Amino acid sequence: MVDETTTGASARSEYEDALRREIETKLRAGLDTEVEPRADTHERVQEIITRLRTSDGSLEVKLVIGGFTLEPIEHGGIEQACETCMYYLVHRKWCELPELDLPVEPQWSCRLWRI
Amino acid sequence: MANLLWLQGGACSGNTMSFLNAEEPSAVDLVTDFGINVLWHPSLGMELGDNLQKLLRACVSGEIALDIFAFEGTVVNAPDGTGDWNRFAGRPMKEWVRELANVAQFVVALGDCATWGGIPATAPNPTDSQGLQFLKRERGGFLGPDFTAKSGLPVINIPGCPAHPDWITQILVAVATGNAGEITLDEFQRPKTFFTSFTQTGCTRNMHFAYKVSAPEFGQRKGCLFYDLGCRGPMTHSPCNRILWNRQSSKTRAGMPCLGCTEPEFPFFDLEPGTVFKTQTVMGVPKDLPAGVDQAGYIKLTGAAKAAAPAWAEEDIFVV
Repeated sequence: MVDETTTGASARSEYEDALRREIETKLRAGLDTEVEPRADTHERVQEIITRLRTSDGSLEVKLVIGGFTLEPIEHGGIEQACETCMYYLVHRKWCELPELDLPVEPQWSCRLWRI
Repeated sequence: MANLLWLQGGACSGNTMSFLNAEEPSAVDLVTDFGINVLWHPSLGMELGDNLQKLLRACVSGEIALDIFAFEGTVVNAPDGTGDWNRFAGRPMKEWVRELANVAQFVVALGDCATWGGIPATAPNPTDSQGLQFLKRERGGFLGPDFTAKSGLPVINIPGCPAHPDWITQILVAVATGNAGEITLDEFQRPKTFFTSFTQTGCTRNMHFAYKVSAPEFGQRKGCLFYDLGCRGPMTHSPCNRILWNRQSSKTRAGMPCLGCTEPEFPFFDLEPGTVFKTQTVMGVPKDLPAGVDQAGYIKLTGAAKAAAPAWAEEDIFVV
């Protein structure tokens, strides 16, 4: 007997892994993302979020506007890694900020980091 | 028998509505079981016009003993300090408030507006509103910092927008039954029995707070509302998750962030656009941290807690 729940979860995990690899490939290939300026203020956060909401929602646009990097960015004496971000789901390795909603790795970073 | 007079200044009647919903004890219980004689109340009082003025004058003159003067709403001073924007029974309400407070055994401020000005006193405060003994965090207010009622107690502040019905009726009963001596007040003259613990105390989302799992959108059953949706539960003094609303629930249990309405600064950030239902951050760190926690400690705790979070904490789960 096939466990449909397990099968569904497995398929989702495979899809998310593939998407994670695709993101890594794009970033290693030199995708020019907006790492700076960081979202230091509420106004800056809102500005970036608004751009994401009004974008076409494609993967590349999310990565560029979000300012994704493959390594943590240290800013203001704080290391801004996905693994400490409030939007990061540890077990799923997922960014649940609704405007991003992407698979990530713990050591990645983006400029919408918040703790 | 204790005589209670309740007047309303610059207000929305929210505390009256709350009071009328009280259950433990109820507004009726105050009269039938605890010997409170309601002289007049905006929604219950029978006297109108001249008869009401006579009643109020009798209280001021001492002909009728005024045991408890309860006030809901701000003291309105506009325009130009006259108070004419809030006239009541033939004169500015502020004049009645001054005279009645001076003859009352106890003065009780009900709700944020009466305690520290609340929403009406938010900048630019067009009605020139004050609370009875505070304006926001600043001690003084309309009656001044040194005011005490005839009992010797300052204004008893029961904040909230509105105040929980049972906070109101339980304090009124304590005063009316001669137990005012058991009421100890904090620095903002709030009864400590209600306002020492935090809104977060008893919140069913505490496990998500502990493991740093956020609710980034409304309508989610999982997740703590502090990290993204502006919940002020960890730094607001109230028993909202100990003494439930309607005996059923609370804001945070229902997925609604605490707005911090029992604190003098409410509404926070003067309601500037984008500040409501959104945690304000500076370089990604919340501007307002849980009470007693510093930034370095918060960052360390968050990193450790997230690393230790169990898988179930990230899954959909009933928290009520």
